[in-house]
Amino acid sequence: MSIKHHKPLISVENFSFGYDPDKEPLLKELSLTIHQQETILLIGPSGSGKSSLSLCLNGLYPEAVEGWANGEVKYNGTPLNQFKKGEINKEIGVVFQDPESQFCMVTVENELAFTLENIKTPREEMAGKIDSILRTVGLTEEKHRPIHELSGGNKQKVALASVLLLNPALLILDEPTANLDPASRFEFIQLIHSLQQERGFALLIIEHQLDDWLPMVDRVIAINRGGNILLEGKPEDVFYNHADQLKAEGIHIPRIVETVLDGNGGRVPETNRPLSEEGLVSWMNSSGMDRIPTNVQARGTSASGRNEVLSIRDVSFSRGKRSILKGINLSLHEGELIAIVGKNGAGKSTLLQVMSGILNPKTGSRLLLEKSYETWSEREMRKVMGYVFQNPEHQFITDTVYDEIAFGMKLNGVNQDEIEYNVHQLLQRFHLLSHIWSNPFALSGGQKRRLSVATMLEDTPSVLLFDEPTFGQDAQTTKELMQMIQTLQQQGTAIVFVTHDMDLVDSYCEKVYVVNGGEVSFSGKPDELWQKPDILHEAKLRLPFRVRINQLLENLHVDEKEQGVVMAHANIH
Amino acid sequence: MLTSINPTMKAFAVLIPALLLAFTFDPLTPFIYLVFTVAVTFFTGEVAFKRWILIVSPFLLLAASFAWMTMLHPGGAFSGGDVLFSLWSFQVTTESFRAGISLGLRSLSFAALSLLFILTTDSTKFMLSLMQQCKLPPKLTFGILAGYRFLPTFRYELQVLRQAHRIRGVGRARGVKERMHQFRRYAIPLLANAIRKAERVALAMESKGFTGETDRTHYHEMTIQTRDWVFVIVFVAMFFVSVFLSYQLGFLNIFGKQF
Repeated sequence: MSIKHHKPLISVENFSFGYDPDKEPLLKELSLTIHQQETILLIGPSGSGKSSLSLCLNGLYPEAVEGWANGEVKYNGTPLNQFKKGEINKEIGVVFQDPESQFCMVTVENELAFTLENIKTPREEMAGKIDSILRTVGLTEEKHRPIHELSGGNKQKVALASVLLLNPALLILDEPTANLDPASRFEFIQLIHSLQQERGFALLIIEHQLDDWLPMVDRVIAINRGGNILLEGKPEDVFYNHADQLKAEGIHIPRIVETVLDGNGGRVPETNRPLSEEGLVSWMNSSGMDRIPTNVQARGTSASGRNEVLSIRDVSFSRGKRSILKGINLSLHEGELIAIVGKNGAGKSTLLQVMSGILNPKTGSRLLLEKSYETWSEREMRKVMGYVFQNPEHQFITDTVYDEIAFGMKLNGVNQDEIEYNVHQLLQRFHLLSHIWSNPFALSGGQKRRLSVATMLEDTPSVLLFDEPTFGQDAQTTKELMQMIQTLQQQGTAIVFVTHDMDLVDSYCEKVYVVNGGEVSFSGKPDELWQKPDILHEAKLRLPFRVRINQLLENLHVDEKEQGVVMAHANIH
Repeated sequence: MLTSINPTMKAFAVLIPALLLAFTFDPLTPFIYLVFTVAVTFFTGEVAFKRWILIVSPFLLLAASFAWMTMLHPGGAFSGGDVLFSLWSFQVTTESFRAGISLGLRSLSFAALSLLFILTTDSTKFMLSLMQQCKLPPKLTFGILAGYRFLPTFRYELQVLRQAHRIRGVGRARGVKERMHQFRRYAIPLLANAIRKAERVALAMESKGFTGETDRTHYHEMTIQTRDWVFVIVFVAMFFVSVFLSYQLGFLNIFGKQF
């Protein structure tokens, strides 16, 4: 692409931004450019100011947060502050992460109309524009439906559609797929890809999970914890030549890159540096790798011979007339790690709540440590079973990190010295000792997550339930969390988690339950699930990276063999 | 038919008689108006009877208790007349009985009028109409609409919060002090999240080019037509009709003064 010949669409010069003038700025002296039709991937650890930067680019920050900024952002050569209010937003559209808080109208149609009204589209043109954009994103059927009834994937498509109505020259995507199930996520990315080819807008993508975006990326910009630009360049240069640097900052490396580096003994291949799954497959084929090995050591040994700690037989649950769970059977053994997967709204979280005893089903039986749930006292049950909620903040009940951990022990009448000792032990283990007197709400995202887990561990619980534990976490936090979970597993704690992350399931879980429409449509080893495309498709799941690549490789081998046979035939004749 | 009346005009059609009714202290005027309101609700409002009864029943109870209290504790002006019956030391006289029934019927009329409005009005259209007809600033109207979308989320979050605290071993609060403490524990995360969400929505709205300016085009043009005026006039006129009827029948009492 002859990008360099154009004048830049956006140029950022020595730009700094911060919330509090007395503290260190969040972004320090950044300089970067975005050209027309260019696709840029912006990466960095959580809290490095990626989202703030994107909002500075469309002129909403620093005013919206009463922050301060230095330096200049120019759009087409004109500084942002010379644009009239609202003018620049027509040129730069943003799709945000949270599908729940991007809309102000009730129905899809009215939400789209809201955008058109903002830019003073004449009334006669509105209906036509709404219909055409709905066709573009494939939501014609949903035109009159209330937005809150749509699936997460469709909500994000509405958000995208309403931004596209502005006809922006630059589209900023701020982790738009973080809350979506794997299949909807992939679908959304494909949609963006085809829209960009059709409409030719520039793209700034902020993401943690990089692989699916990579084939469309022209340039990567990495920001470090300090708010400086760490690296900038072509994706193959950034990811292959600076992988160690990125890892040290806690940034996810694309798995494609990781696989190549691992397969090549850590060295960067000189000629071919693949960035797509197809590219990876042909690289592996040419360098003689026949598959990505299973991450066996992460998985525990088989469940047979270990005690059953939790069992659910024929449990059904309904809310009003709506039946949410139907005839669920599930069993969990000591030291086992199982995952519950399925599309949004399939009943995964409800199942977890039934297992935790917060919700009581109408029919069926539940046993915890061979005792029926009904015979457990609330306090005793909470001692042997922990539950970590999706949003750690929901679990905080005191004003300091210390009290948060000591709370349960005080409740159980543990003596002061022991409390003191245990709290320090736990805080040390979770790297929170330096925050012992902080308010839990003032911690960073990763710290909050660690604290919420730590509060469940005053005694070593027999069962620990997690609702999307890795949701919205960067590479570093995810890794730390999984290490913690594995340590617990080795101590004999049985662990259940609800997740959308199939790679997590593939590399850590012994058993996986697929919940679809309130029923368990599959239970068994992950490897067996990967052989069942129908079930995966119906539950809006996707094969994990390892399996996808291995299947592609196998197909390639089959094709080659067939070709070989044809060649052989040709030689005979 | 009721659903298509301009929401702002409908609001006036409901508010004006409600205000006027507040001054009629006899039982007949509010009764006639109540019958009229209910008749309009069912004949032109496409409101399901079952749903209406379900919503109105708590008001029925409330109205009955208002009436009962007024009968037992009438103000000085209404304690005259013959004693109808007495209960312990309370004496219910004809006048206090009349005042009580009047208050009960008035409260029911208010309830019926409010329901007529609420059950037949789309909240989005009401806000759009307030913006277009009453020139309310868009910042306010779209802000209210965005907030309206959050109500269900808020309830859901409170439920999750309760569960999460139960998991931590926080029992049910007993006593005032513990309740206050628990309220604070719920309030902080709820508020923190509400503020965060409000901020996000505001950013999303501004990102879609919303500036709060009054100069904008309208997808749903809310207009006032002749029939909207007719609707208001009929509702106000009907008040005077019921006043006239109760005057003819000798019931009329305005602000404690018998006519």
